[in-house]
Amino acid sequence: MVKRIFDSMNKPVRRRDILKGAAAVGAVSVFPAIISRRGFAAENPTLVNSIRSLSNPYHATWNKGGEAFAKSVGADYVTLVTEGNSEKGVSDIRAIIAKTGGNVVINVDPNDAPDARPIVEAVKEAGGYVVTQWNKPADLHPWDFDPNYVAHISFSGVPYGKAMAEALFKAMGGKGGIVALGGIQSNIPAIERKAGLDQALAENPDIKLLDFQVANWSETEALEKTNAWLTQFGDEIGGIWAANDGMALAAVEALRADGRAGQVPVTGIDGIQLAVEAILAGEMAGTVAWDPYWQGGMGLSIGYHAATGKFDPAKEPKDHREFYGTGVIITADNAQSYYDSNIKAEPELDWNDIWGRVSGQIQY
Amino acid sequence: MPPSVMPTSIARTGTRVMTLHANAAKSAVAVPKKTATRRWRLASWAPVIVLVLLCAVIAAINPNFLSFGNFVRIAQAAMIPLVLGLGATFIILMGSIDLSLEGVLTLSAVILSMLVLNGANANDLGLLAIPIVLLVGAGVGFVNGTIHVRLKVPSFMVTLGTWFIGVGVANALIGGTAIRINDKLVRALAIARDPVIGFPWGVWLALLCFLIALVIQNYTRLGRYIYALGGGEDLAALSGIPAARVRIMAFTLAGVFYAVGGILAAAQLGLGNSQIGLGRLFTTITAVVVGGTALSGGQGGVHQTLIGVLIVVVLSNGMVLMGIPPSVQIGVQGLMIIVAVALSMDRKMMRIVK
Amino acid sequence: MSAPSVPALSLVDVDKRFPGVHALKNVSIEIMPGEVVGLIGENGAGKSTLMKILSGVYQPDGGEIRLAGKPTRFISAADANRQGIGMVFQEQSLLTNLSVGENVYLGNEAQFRRFGLVDWGALYAAAARQLEKVEVDVDPRTHTSELDFATRQMVELAKALTLEENAGGHLVILLDEPTSVLERAEIEILFARVRALKTRASFIFVSHRLDEVLELSDRIYVMKDGAVVADLPAAEANITQLHQLMVGRSLQAAYYRESLQKPYGDEVVIEAEGLTLGHAYRDISFKLHAGEILGIAGVLGSGREEVTRTLAGFAPHDGGSLRIGGRECRLRTPAEAVDNGVGYIPRERRVEGLVLFLSVAANITLANLRSLTRHWLIDGREEQRIATTWVERLKVKTPSINALCLNLSGGNQQKVVLAKWLNAKARVLILDHPTRGLDVGAKEEVYELVRSVTAEGVAVILTSDTLEETIGLSHTVLVMRDGAITHRTAALPGHKPTQVALIEHMV
Repeated sequence: MVKRIFDSMNKPVRRRDILKGAAAVGAVSVFPAIISRRGFAAENPTLVNSIRSLSNPYHATWNKGGEAFAKSVGADYVTLVTEGNSEKGVSDIRAIIAKTGGNVVINVDPNDAPDARPIVEAVKEAGGYVVTQWNKPADLHPWDFDPNYVAHISFSGVPYGKAMAEALFKAMGGKGGIVALGGIQSNIPAIERKAGLDQALAENPDIKLLDFQVANWSETEALEKTNAWLTQFGDEIGGIWAANDGMALAAVEALRADGRAGQVPVTGIDGIQLAVEAILAGEMAGTVAWDPYWQGGMGLSIGYHAATGKFDPAKEPKDHREFYGTGVIITADNAQSYYDSNIKAEPELDWNDIWGRVSGQIQY
Repeated sequence: MPPSVMPTSIARTGTRVMTLHANAAKSAVAVPKKTATRRWRLASWAPVIVLVLLCAVIAAINPNFLSFGNFVRIAQAAMIPLVLGLGATFIILMGSIDLSLEGVLTLSAVILSMLVLNGANANDLGLLAIPIVLLVGAGVGFVNGTIHVRLKVPSFMVTLGTWFIGVGVANALIGGTAIRINDKLVRALAIARDPVIGFPWGVWLALLCFLIALVIQNYTRLGRYIYALGGGEDLAALSGIPAARVRIMAFTLAGVFYAVGGILAAAQLGLGNSQIGLGRLFTTITAVVVGGTALSGGQGGVHQTLIGVLIVVVLSNGMVLMGIPPSVQIGVQGLMIIVAVALSMDRKMMRIVK
Repeated sequence: MSAPSVPALSLVDVDKRFPGVHALKNVSIEIMPGEVVGLIGENGAGKSTLMKILSGVYQPDGGEIRLAGKPTRFISAADANRQGIGMVFQEQSLLTNLSVGENVYLGNEAQFRRFGLVDWGALYAAAARQLEKVEVDVDPRTHTSELDFATRQMVELAKALTLEENAGGHLVILLDEPTSVLERAEIEILFARVRALKTRASFIFVSHRLDEVLELSDRIYVMKDGAVVADLPAAEANITQLHQLMVGRSLQAAYYRESLQKPYGDEVVIEAEGLTLGHAYRDISFKLHAGEILGIAGVLGSGREEVTRTLAGFAPHDGGSLRIGGRECRLRTPAEAVDNGVGYIPRERRVEGLVLFLSVAANITLANLRSLTRHWLIDGREEQRIATTWVERLKVKTPSINALCLNLSGGNQQKVVLAKWLNAKARVLILDHPTRGLDVGAKEEVYELVRSVTAEGVAVILTSDTLEETIGLSHTVLVMRDGAITHRTAALPGHKPTQVALIEHMV
């Protein structure tokens, strides 16, 4: 097979050009850099969200938050997607900086921690403003790049992994066996969330962890692992903890095929719409909403406030420069109200309340 | 035209072995008859033996493996890889490769979820959505085949492109969210079971696909020509086989099977999203190769793929049942591929390995 | 350097057997330092086996190889290289995607290593020195694909000469059909170089072109049926004499089933008039009748292979006319040839003739599957019936018609290919070296088949490895030389032309 491929590669250039064309068409439709412009104010900085992709609900919602904030201040808004490619992420940002001449506020979820440094340096050099979220090197600090590197926001997986475990145990009546689905083994959020689960288990000796498996954030794998558990442990399974909502929903489907959906509580994390609906249907016991809508809008808002001189980043305390955001814990108790205010309607956020969700300085 | 003049003297010459002296190239393939027969049989039966051994080992460690409930769960886990594997087998038999599987599956699942009763729009086409989705699969496959043949682009590159395009279009259609499927009949494929054995209907659908594939492989010209192309494009042309048409038809057929896989995946997870195909390509190619269909083409078949799928599914089910640590599991799967390829390849046929 | 009286290389009673074939029968050969030794013989006479033993590819079953008088063994091609045996092959062994210099030192880069990296400057300088030896004025950094064939052949020679530095002793260079792809002028240059290099090396020159062997060699060995039948100084030899030595036996009428040769009918199935294709052949005219076997004789490069390729649909003609069954046609693809009732049986059955992983039955019906298809499905029972019929008629030895062709012997595979075409109702069969690689018994079976097929009215165009076979089987023989027909003769039973009579038109 391989040989055939190379044989055909030696064909005249014309075909290769067609191929390139085809690849380019593919690239366009897979990696769309969606640029939407609304409201033109010359003194206004361009607002930029740089995220992994639009193909996952999380970042899609992030983008909506960004759009909403941009609309509220009437600024140009640009979405850049990295598609998991660090080089693309960094070079797209450099391009937008060049295009705007530095009059730009960037809210970025760097594809990988090391990417944050070149991004921050490029912004600093051009005199723009940047807020990073989730990923950055531990020794890269906003206060070393005053005033351009406004803030870094992250969420600790530990307390929420633990909170979900506790919600699960509560739904189980405080005792029984559970199984747990982890994310990619080397992934930081996956590790933190698992650490939270472990803490909760240590505090609840009546709950027994029957088995832990990694399903790599994949619904298909989660379904298969849950199926195997149903064979192995049968009725011993009193609850299922999953490190994200996709895997939790797949576990619910495995239970459904077994006729047990709704009887075994399942928790996830991320707060996607289908998970909230599953909580409402009584098939999931809880999830945590990071509120990507807030992340996408507020990240820009913080940068925008700094850029427009509403506050001076250099004068802010360190817990406003590197802080943990606050997740929303959703269980059966508050699912309906969360659904009504955040999912059915576009959330109404006060974009000027920039420090409202600070829950402590990030610890390294 | 029967040769009526047929002297009896032919009968006296026994079975002969090819001589080696005249042509260097032949020396690589001149295997005494007995050895060749034995090799071939071993290659063909090895997957079955592996499957039986695997089941025996897992059952010995965890007797729950043999429970009826697990039997059904394995069937359920195998239905999607089987349907995908059927399509991929035809392509691999031709000596080509089809990477568009995840793209077609994702696109099909997303389109299905948007056409039947769902949580995002007002559509409610019911079962009518299924032929539409199958047509979409066939269309992508047809495009794959046509570009591959007419523009002479390697199948590897074309299908890599359509993989991304498929996922990209799915993305564009639903903007990154997931659409819940509320159609009872579609969900029934994964949830409702037949009253006799107790398999989900999706398993029966997959088995029906298998039978259709078996008939296509063994009883149609298309199936025969696919083998012939895999045996050598030159030879196929020599026998007057319309190679281009056969290739396009094979890719189209594969697209239909992937679309069925998309329907089953959407039914199983109860939703359509653009990540639904993730990781399917690896599992499918593994199953096809483990089953004994050679990546070099011409050798194997959908019956082998059925065994390969069962090996892969039983192994991943069994690794959980046996309590193998997650970090080891992926390594075991990789090892399995290497062993399977090593077992199934007739090295005497190969002069150069690339 | 060894003294002139000791042979640079000698083979003493070298013996080699393969299953079913005694390829070399106690062959003894000597090559003196600075000597060019010609080696000739028909295909299958054992030349290739001998060359493979000298280049370390095969190991002899008996006898001894002596290098400068001392017994030695060549356990691999690399080992033979190390001991001073160089090779220049007919199918060029240069990698065209590398530079000339890289090719010259391919596999021997180690000597230019500095700190683990290749010192390319040193390598190219050394390569330039090697190229000087063969007087080729080419920058060693040139991409090999830019060179013409003759220059590439010189580069091969230069590559062989690098062994001088490594092996230390006197070189023996094997030239295996080095002229087959060269023009006359290029051949002159090559020969001049070989002569000039005689002070550095001895040569063994294998060629089908007897005139060239006579021109270049000092001494000639003639092989036949695995044995050396003559060893004579080139100065005392002539072409006719060499040919008689190569062929050796008189025609064996029974061997070729001449008694079964029936007169052919009047119906013309193929008529060629002034057929021409570029430089390959020109002005080819013949009529092929139903039931006729038309043999085309000629040496390599005579154009006969191209004529058969044209008829099989691989190389459409660009001049003259071709009528098949009375209809003017130009066969652009093999599929078109098949549609016109022309079946091609290639020399490499395993590569082109059969789908090895399909059953005997599936192969037999492959070219005519349409007629078996009812309502989209292949009629399995009918297929089995047809296959069984053909297997019985052609006496194919197979465990079952559902056995894979992979498991059949060469002769039986040949029969399956034949059955495929007969089943597809081919009216003309092109037999391209049909008995190549078969042993005597299997050859006889093929002869039987060819006779019985023509008795049914199928016409055959035959190119064969041996002149003897061509004459023995054919009704009519065309002789080609340099792309044109030089002679045509009937070959009726009892009045077969002699080989010598044909050879004079071939060379």
